[in-house]
Amino acid sequence: MIFGKNYQSFPMDITKYEKIFAQESGKYLKELEDLLMQVEKNLSNLGLWAEVHGKVHSIKGMARALSLNKISDLCHLMEEWCLKFQQGKIMSSTAAVQALFDSSEFLGVLISKNGRLDSFEDQKVYDRLISIFQKSPPENAVTVPVPQPPPSPAYSQPIIAGIDYVRIRYAFIEELLGLTQEIQLLAKRFPSFSKDQMSSGLKNWIDHYTALMKVLYFQLTQLRLMPVGDFADMFRKSIRNIAKENDKNIDFEIIGGEIQADITLLERLREPLIHIFRNCIAHGIEPTEERIGKGKSADGKIAIEARSEKENLYIKIRDDGRGINKSLIIKHLKEKQKITDEEIENMSEEDIYDTILSTEFSSSSGATELSGRGIGMRVVAQSVDYLGGSLTISSKEDIGTEFSIKLPLSLSIIYAIIFSVGKYTLAIPTLNINSIDRIDLSSAEKPESYYDTRKLMGIAGEKNNYATVLSLRYAADKAGFTDEKSCMKLIVDNVIGNRPLMILPMGELLSRIKLFSGIGIMENGDISILIDVDNLP
Amino acid sequence: MKLFVFKSKDEFIGIESDYVHRIIDDSKVTPVPLTPESYTGLLYHRGELFDVINMRLLLGYPVDGSAETTRIIILKWLNKKLAVIPDEITGMIWIDDNSKNTNEFYHENHKIRLITPDDLWKKLSELSYGHNKI
Repeated sequence: MIFGKNYQSFPMDITKYEKIFAQESGKYLKELEDLLMQVEKNLSNLGLWAEVHGKVHSIKGMARALSLNKISDLCHLMEEWCLKFQQGKIMSSTAAVQALFDSSEFLGVLISKNGRLDSFEDQKVYDRLISIFQKSPPENAVTVPVPQPPPSPAYSQPIIAGIDYVRIRYAFIEELLGLTQEIQLLAKRFPSFSKDQMSSGLKNWIDHYTALMKVLYFQLTQLRLMPVGDFADMFRKSIRNIAKENDKNIDFEIIGGEIQADITLLERLREPLIHIFRNCIAHGIEPTEERIGKGKSADGKIAIEARSEKENLYIKIRDDGRGINKSLIIKHLKEKQKITDEEIENMSEEDIYDTILSTEFSSSSGATELSGRGIGMRVVAQSVDYLGGSLTISSKEDIGTEFSIKLPLSLSIIYAIIFSVGKYTLAIPTLNINSIDRIDLSSAEKPESYYDTRKLMGIAGEKNNYATVLSLRYAADKAGFTDEKSCMKLIVDNVIGNRPLMILPMGELLSRIKLFSGIGIMENGDISILIDVDNLP
Repeated sequence: MKLFVFKSKDEFIGIESDYVHRIIDDSKVTPVPLTPESYTGLLYHRGELFDVINMRLLLGYPVDGSAETTRIIILKWLNKKLAVIPDEITGMIWIDDNSKNTNEFYHENHKIRLITPDDLWKKLSELSYGHNKI
């Protein structure tokens, strides 16, 4: 009622509440209709009628709070009927249930129009419904209700499952993160108090409070994660539309959809992915007759697969189309790029297909000969590059093509050893650290095997004889590393500790530095630069 | 058109105020190795990372310690963002839209150089990052 009265003075608030109302009442209407379907088959179940009554009552209450009188008036009359059925005073009938169905459907219309009857037609329906409910409900032939046992527990349980998930606007999460961060900053600007003003109890309280704030902030950042499946689902409609434009039918499959990834990262993949899908549909998947001729299923298949490995996220897009004509790429390499037969012989499959991603190829006739396969692929590769990732293509003629995107550390919490080198704060994932030691370099066995991180970071100055050394460890399956490299030792200035880090992707500028794999945010908001141990020179 | 004006060395620089997302004060900028001199570091503000640029260095002036401000200008445009450290924030002026396409103009006897965030970005992109810079 408060909001209703102040409608004029709080126009902003009211829109917000109207939105909430529309969401909530939509949910109640759905539940109401489910209940009506049950009660239709079980007219004398008083317990069910009580639930129907409850739903109508909830909608009425919310509508009243917003002064949406048309809605609340109709609900009120509906409630009176429900009450009579619920108390067993009148035996309900299918006609009565139908009237409730009609009005619940019309409530849906009214809610979507913020409770306004904005057409003559609406007004007519509304008046008709009101006049029906003002009368006594149409009774069943049997007027004396069968005495009902108390509602069975099964019915008093909620009909729908509990709510596990809610939808939230992404911008709202950003707002929350911003606010918590600001509160954290407030703690840093805490005014200084004299001893008399500040009891130790108060000090403890503040410390505890700020510590909790940090944890809260860290947890909130997890809200930025989204299942890849939900993201991939957003393409379903586009894929269908592109397929229709090309007169093809596509089965779209999502694999590994439960894997979580940073929304900002996924957002930046939207354009490149739609480009790849378009390529698959327009050029990869053959026309239906051709597919049938080849003994393939009439509908083309496109799959998107997400996989996380170490701190990398892999997204693969596969089609079961005609594949990329390798001989055309080879022709391009020979004719346009003057690459000899011998050199081509030595190129890996991957290298050959990667030609498609080059600028030379995109702008050459090779692309058009390959029916546009290459056009724009350069742009896709660039976008992935900006995210610090890489794109590889593999293809088999008549079997299909696979585009594999490898992305760096998506936003997630990892543990890392934080250390300083000069004025820089750097980090290496704890997984990649074998040991941390203090070593006297003058008596070390092979001093040349120690890596001078200062030099690597472009800091001048002599190294100390006593040094803190991080021994690296690579994943066992990491191919291409000699023993020497797999036990590389980095000399660093100071080890700060083993801390949880929230990993953010680097911006466009820093992504150019191959030595870094991401930016780590510590619990106190401090930044450290994550070193990509695979890219140490 | 509203113009946000700040000072770098002795130069007044104007940028369309629509691009100015926020001015923040007293924030910690973390240095990043292997970056150009004018790249001051990274700023983490409200859940976002910003590249922080020292305007004076980007324009090729030396740093002589006369810069007083602790303020950082956050720019956002299209899908890009950048944080800029000026020497001093001067304020806001209104100019007519025709001046939009000029590079500089005079306001109360002061010469103001007009720049766009894209100009800054271009300048930054031309610098080299990583090991090829050493």
